[in-house]
Order: sequence, then C-alpha cells, then structure tokens
Amino acid sequence: MSAIAEERPRAPSRPATSEAAHVHQRIVKRRRQEQGTRLEWAVVHMLYLIIVLFFFAPFLWLLSAAFDGDAVAYIRWPAHPTFANFVYIFRHFHIGRALANSLFISTATMLLSVVLVSLAAYSLSRLAFGLKSGVTYGVLVLQTMPLSATMIPVYGLARDLHLRNTYLGLILVHSAIEMPFLIWLMKGFFDTIPRYLEEAAWLDGRSKLRAWWEVVLPVARPGLIVIAGFAFLNAWSEVLMVIILVDDPGKSTIPLAFYQTFRSNGGYNEVNYGLVAAVGVIYVLPVITLFFSLRKMMVRGLMSTSRGL
Amino acid sequence: MAEIQFEHVVKQFTRQATPAVDDLSFTVNDGELLILLGPSGCGKTTALRMIAGLEEPDAGDIRIDGQSVVGVEPKERDIALVFQQYALYPHLSARDNLLYPLKVQKISKQERQQRIDQTAELLKIGHLLDRKPGQLSGGEQQRVALGRAIVRQPRVFLMDEPLSNLDAKLRTHMRTEIKTLQQQLGATMAFVTHDQAEAMTMADRIAVMNSGRLQQLATPDEMYRFPANLFVAEFLGSPPMNTLPVHRQNGHLAVPGGWSVPAPAHSPMPESLVLGIRPEAIEVVPSGTPGASPASVIVSEPLGSEVIVNVTLGETMVRVRTAPDIRPRPGELIHLRPHPDGIRLFDKETGAYVGA
Repeated sequence: MSAIAEERPRAPSRPATSEAAHVHQRIVKRRRQEQGTRLEWAVVHMLYLIIVLFFFAPFLWLLSAAFDGDAVAYIRWPAHPTFANFVYIFRHFHIGRALANSLFISTATMLLSVVLVSLAAYSLSRLAFGLKSGVTYGVLVLQTMPLSATMIPVYGLARDLHLRNTYLGLILVHSAIEMPFLIWLMKGFFDTIPRYLEEAAWLDGRSKLRAWWEVVLPVARPGLIVIAGFAFLNAWSEVLMVIILVDDPGKSTIPLAFYQTFRSNGGYNEVNYGLVAAVGVIYVLPVITLFFSLRKMMVRGLMSTSRGL
Repeated sequence: MAEIQFEHVVKQFTRQATPAVDDLSFTVNDGELLILLGPSGCGKTTALRMIAGLEEPDAGDIRIDGQSVVGVEPKERDIALVFQQYALYPHLSARDNLLYPLKVQKISKQERQQRIDQTAELLKIGHLLDRKPGQLSGGEQQRVALGRAIVRQPRVFLMDEPLSNLDAKLRTHMRTEIKTLQQQLGATMAFVTHDQAEAMTMADRIAVMNSGRLQQLATPDEMYRFPANLFVAEFLGSPPMNTLPVHRQNGHLAVPGGWSVPAPAHSPMPESLVLGIRPEAIEVVPSGTPGASPASVIVSEPLGSEVIVNVTLGETMVRVRTAPDIRPRPGELIHLRPHPDGIRLFDKETGAYVGA
C-alpha cells in the first residue's frame, strides 16, 4: 500500500474497490481544497504569464534589436541576424574602454564599500559610545537626501580636490552614495549574529579585531555578499555623478557611453535602435550575470549560517 | 589549576534600578565545582561573565590565583566558558572548533592532534569531528562545546547553564558526565544554573543568589538541612520546604489549626516566626497519636518511589512525602506529626534562620 502511494503520490486514477474509490474521492476533494480548481489554476498562471511578459519584453526587444541590422522600435525577429551593431559600437564609441573603466570603478567601489561598511556597521551594532543613536539615525537621514541636491557641492568639491576625470573621484563618490543604506543593512545582519560567538573567540584567546575577522565576518558572509552586490550594481548603473564628474572620453563609463550613443547618433529625432540596443546589451549583461551568480551564493550562504547558530 | 575570589563585587547596569550583583564575596577553591544557583535575573550569569572578563565590576575585586583580573582582557585570562547556546563557530567543522583555541595558543601540530584525540575519546565525539555544528544534535553540540573548553586545558572552567537546552533524560546523563569529568581533570569549575536538582547532584558547594546578593554558600547537604533563610528554604528541594506561620503560646510554638511544638530554649527570639519543615520530616500517623494534627487531603501525586500528598493543615497548604503505599484520596482526613529534628525556625520579618 505504501509502495503504491510512494510510486503514485497522486492517487490511482482507476481504483479497484469501492472503498478505494471512496478514498480516491476524498483525496481528490482534499487536493482541490488545497490547490484550487482547474479554473483557478489557469487564471493564476495566466496572470503570472502577463506579469512576466510585461517585465521581460524590454529585454526581449534589447536582445532582438541588438542583433538586427535594421532595428525598429518594436519587438521582431531580426530579418538578417548580425553582429554588425556590436562591431560598430566597439569601433566608434570606445565601448571597450568604457567597459573596462566601469568594471574597474565598480569593483573598486565594491571593495571599498565592503571594508568601510562592515567596519562601520559592526561598530554601530556592537560598541557602546556616546551619541550612538544620534550617529546611527544621522546615517539614515543622509540616505533621505536626494542625489540631485548634492550635484553642485559634489562638483565643486571634486574640482577643488582635482578629483574630476579621475578614477578615485568616481570610486569615492559612488561608495559614498550607497554607504548609509548599506551600513544600515549590514548593521541589521550583524545584529542577528549572536554576541556569544565573538565572546567565545575572545575567551579562546583572540583579540577583538581577530575575532571579528575570523568568526564574525565568515558568519556574516551572506550579508557581505549582499552589500558587495548592491555596491557593485549601484556603481555600475550610476550615471548622474559620472555626467558631472567626467568629460574626458577616456574616463567614460558604460552608462555614460550608453547615454552618448543616443545623443551622438542623429540626435533624439533619429535614433539608431540597433546601436542603442547593442550598448544596452553590453550594459545589462554583466549585471544580470552578477545577479544570478550572487543569488545562488546568497541562498547557499544563508543556509549554512542560519543552521547551528 | 586555580582559585577564584570575589571580594565585595558590585555590578550595576545602566538603566536598571538595582545592581545586578550587589556586594558579592565568595571563593571557588582549587579543584572545586561551585554552583551558582538562583532564579533568572538573580545576577548569577553576570557574576560568571565577570570571571570571564566579558563584564567588568563597578566595585570590588576579582582575583584568580591571588592576582586581580579586573581590567584584564578576556583573552589574557586563560579561562574557558561553555555558553548556554554552546557558541560553536557555525562555519567551522567540529574538529576546527576544537582546533581553534589550540591554533591561537600556537601549540605544535603534534600536540594539537594528541589533545584532540584525547578529548574526542573522553567525550566520545570522534565520529562527529568532520561535521559542521548545524549537522549536530543539541546533545552533540553540547559535547563539542565541552570539548572546546577541555582541549585548551585552561585554569578555570565556567559553565553558563550548559544543560538547559537538553531534554530531561540527556540532562540527567550529562550532569553525571560533567561531574565525573571535573573530578577526573581536577578542574576548578564555576557552574551557573537555575535548576536546584542540578545543583544538588553536581556541586561540591552551592552559592544561592537572589536579587544580586549571595544568600548562602554551603555544601548541598548542609544547605538542604540548614537553609540560611526562607528564600533558600523555598528554593531548594522538590517539593521545597513547607513554611508555616506560628505564634507563641506559653512556651510553645503553635501552628494555627495544627501542631504545637516546644519553643527552643535559647533566646532572644524575634517576635514573629515562621516554621519550616521538609516534606519528608512529616509523618503520617494513626489518629490519636500524641503531637499529631488532622489535615485534609487536597491531592496525592504518586511518583513511583514515593507519593507527594498535598494537604491543608489549619489554613496552610503543606506537602508531605510518604511511602508509595500510602495514597490518601482527596477530601480524606489524615493525621500528621512533625519530626522534631526536622523543624527549622525563621524570622518572619527578615527571613533569616534563627534556630532548630
């Protein structure tokens, strides 16, 4: 009986006896209560499909147009699939250079953010010091300030410190933009890590810094991965600060290059959709790759740390 | 090994009206298992954490082997603490958890291996060493946590309610194991618990605390027989000591509606007294026995080897421990006589023990 049940979890379609038929009916009824009727199933899945299509359509357009020699403003299968758009943008728009710049700036921003955020968040989570709640909420208030409101001062500051058209300037600004939010996020992660773990390490003979490095950070790894992901993605996609800080084409980043593809190719009236889509693909591809690889690591990390705490 | 001394230690947490630990003085002797016992919030864990250096006292001195450790970092104290939640490093295997303190101490590879092998054999955790804490059961995690403490061979072992997360059967088993282990190692151990049975079975001496203050420090036997005050009398023992208000009546102490016992000769005695008597110091006797009083049975709780009978004697509820064959029904009238050796008297005002 149990073997049958295991083999066919969804009750046998043709029951042998009347008792079995009764059981079968009960199971079907129960399943219907749990899973809903066929009509409900169809409606729910239809809604899912519509939502997915709605959000997926722009990507579909991006992909189809990028490989279309004669792209248009709606989705269609490329008449003559070609790599010509990509070849063109790499030859005429310094996309290779922008890609390298973006990778470098985003990676550096990510590293700097992870180091600073983890130290700051740990301090706010663990240390007792005067004005602690003032500092903690002050950090949060910074996050509420609109980015555009800081444009002029950031420009002036960068000019006076000779940080315009430099990698350092972009890295510092990009790190600073997201830091308040990331500090709060990471503080939340640290708050969930029980203090006795680091206390155990102290008693095992470690200094506070070593205990933080060897015990707290490994346990906080899922949090750190999230922080790293956010920092990278933000630096990768941020365009406003790049516009005000960079006018040297050699220091251009991908979003700025994307913006310029629009402008320098016939102005706003006559857009070469194929080129725009090709840059778009280059722009989003690393981000999507990063997101999917991160998602796996985050799930794995979360599973390994939440157990045994 | 080592001796721990507390001298007039005070610890006050901010935003708390009363000190967590108030003028605490006691000594844990070399090789002794001292149990800090008390209800939650009595300051016992705070006292333990001050030995470990995880909290600093506001006043007073804590000495280990005669040397003050106030202001000394936890890592410098050479003390092992087993946490209530075990605090195993979740990202390391059981083996690496044991290795961690040894690596910190820069102990040679060969000796590390030797110590791990010894500890694993002692605690029977050899087969668990390659698992992560998340893959171990509560009891297994507990053993590994003990192992991480033992493998270091520290001066002092501290235990913060290490058995409270285990099921009842395993807890009883681990009590015996920890006690045996402590004797084998000859270790100085301070052990915090709120479970009086744990304290009675394991301790060389018990320190009972309440509201941050030390109530009594004595061997389990002495404390059970001669509790220093009403708090200890009612905290220790299962069921605890019965306490009955008494008043004086021409040379006798009378329990309202019940017994009358001769007042102790020595004086002076405080005005109002409370009579304490353990459930096993009360006898069930035939009616008409001199000194006996009738009591009405509320309920009998058979425990196999004994029966706890709850009765009302006069106006007070009293628990009596009887042989398993005596099992009176609710509402029945039985006759009870106090054993004269079992009577303890306490000052009703201060709760202090005044005589037997």
